[in-house]
Amino acid sequence: MAIKIKKINFSKIFWGVLSIFLVFVIWYIGSQKPSMKGLLPNPIDVIKYIFWSNSNKIGKVNIWGHIYWSMTRVITGYVLACIVGIVLGFLTGWSKLGSAIIKPFYMVLRSIPSIAWIPLAILWFGIGEQSKYFIIFISTMLIVMTNVIDGVKDVDRDYLGVARMLGTSERKMFWNIVLPCAVPQIFNGLQVGLGAAWATVIAAEMVRSSKGVGWIILMGQTAMNMTQVFAGIIIIGLIGLTLALLMRGLEAKLCAWNVRGK
Amino acid sequence: MSKILEINNISKTFTNDDATNSKEVLTNVTFSVEENEMVVVFGPGQCGKTTLLNIIAGLEKPTTGDVKINCKEVTAPGPDRAVVFQNIMLFPWLTAYQNVEYSMKIRNFDKAERAKEAMKYLDLVGLNGFEQSYPVKLSGGMKQRVGIARAYCTKPDVMLMDEPFGALDAQTRYLMQDELLRISNTEKRTVVFITNNIEEALYVADRIIVMTDCPSTVMEEVIIDMPHPRERTDQKFLQLRKEISAMVNRRR
Repeated sequence: MAIKIKKINFSKIFWGVLSIFLVFVIWYIGSQKPSMKGLLPNPIDVIKYIFWSNSNKIGKVNIWGHIYWSMTRVITGYVLACIVGIVLGFLTGWSKLGSAIIKPFYMVLRSIPSIAWIPLAILWFGIGEQSKYFIIFISTMLIVMTNVIDGVKDVDRDYLGVARMLGTSERKMFWNIVLPCAVPQIFNGLQVGLGAAWATVIAAEMVRSSKGVGWIILMGQTAMNMTQVFAGIIIIGLIGLTLALLMRGLEAKLCAWNVRGK
Repeated sequence: MSKILEINNISKTFTNDDATNSKEVLTNVTFSVEENEMVVVFGPGQCGKTTLLNIIAGLEKPTTGDVKINCKEVTAPGPDRAVVFQNIMLFPWLTAYQNVEYSMKIRNFDKAERAKEAMKYLDLVGLNGFEQSYPVKLSGGMKQRVGIARAYCTKPDVMLMDEPFGALDAQTRYLMQDELLRISNTEKRTVVFITNNIEEALYVADRIIVMTDCPSTVMEEVIIDMPHPRERTDQKFLQLRKEISAMVNRRR
């Protein structure tokens, strides 16, 4: 398959860079005001701090150590959530019996925000890693599941007719038609789910932890070190962005047939 | 020549869920198709033709009457009939090649045989070089070529074509009509071709079944005894066109 090389849009890049630059300028001017002292750090200090933390420890480990801890939690919870979410989603979406059994629980669980699970998770699993896996799992799983259910529901009934005409038995219908039809929507779920998993780990780490990117912010707050708080926020944003881009790249590779995947 | 497809007294009435409203779209439709014949079902308007084809395909059930293929009654969709749809309905997640081989793959033919047949039909419809393209990258005419190759590769007893060129622009439509004749000349198949375009009907048909408007039934059968390639401005062609149009308009 030929991969189309996108034409570089210079005017788009120009305006993007300019707007980021302007925000930094406004931020810088704001931080120079005496009334902002101690509340808004100088952006140059924040960037310096990020580079400094590359080789110096914040707490027990340097910045990469914290990112590593957060990512381990995210990936563990996320992978579990994807497996369970996809299986439950298909059971609910494709089988009438499955829907009757699972749907009520799903409807209730879906309306509970992930933060509400934190106290329960700590009581059940303690303050260690397991409670964080659990919180990430439960919030991500429901998002993945929702998308799988929608994907299965949206399978064009006409495709099933075409497949029958071409000799597809009902037994083979799921693997050959329903699953590929639902793939773009499932990918959407995996993408949104990864974003949610990342957001959830930060929340979990800010409640109770001794390492992780969320912990950096929490510690910054405790020590009134606003530079550290801002550095933490920027790192969260950058990693969230990187994860989203990685997922999009993966989708474009695996779903080349889909218009969305282009 | 033997009768391969028999349509006996088909009627179809659509009723809404609470049975308060019903619409009769087909009434007492009877005709038969012989082996390797290209039969065009021509009728005005939006009434009944696609329903008739769906009944032959087994995608819908008739209210009364039955359809027999090789003396066996049709009860469900199956690969002894292949449909070329107006909206083509290729599987977008499969390449052109995979779409064409799909029906053989799903019925567990071995890989070498599948490859041989699929390549043969892609070649026949003039799509070499596009085997690995996904439908989203193909033009309307090319997609319908894949649709035709897919139908051929199913090895059906009867091919059902539901206004297959209806969504194409006029130029492509003419081209595809010629292509259809070329393809079916290379490999003879029994075809039921549905259209509401009289010119298209006259251009491709061995026999035209003229249908009435709603509820549809067979009005007349016209055998078109002209050699191919036909000239659309030929005297006899125009004469037939006039006659059949008059027939339809009178009964409206």
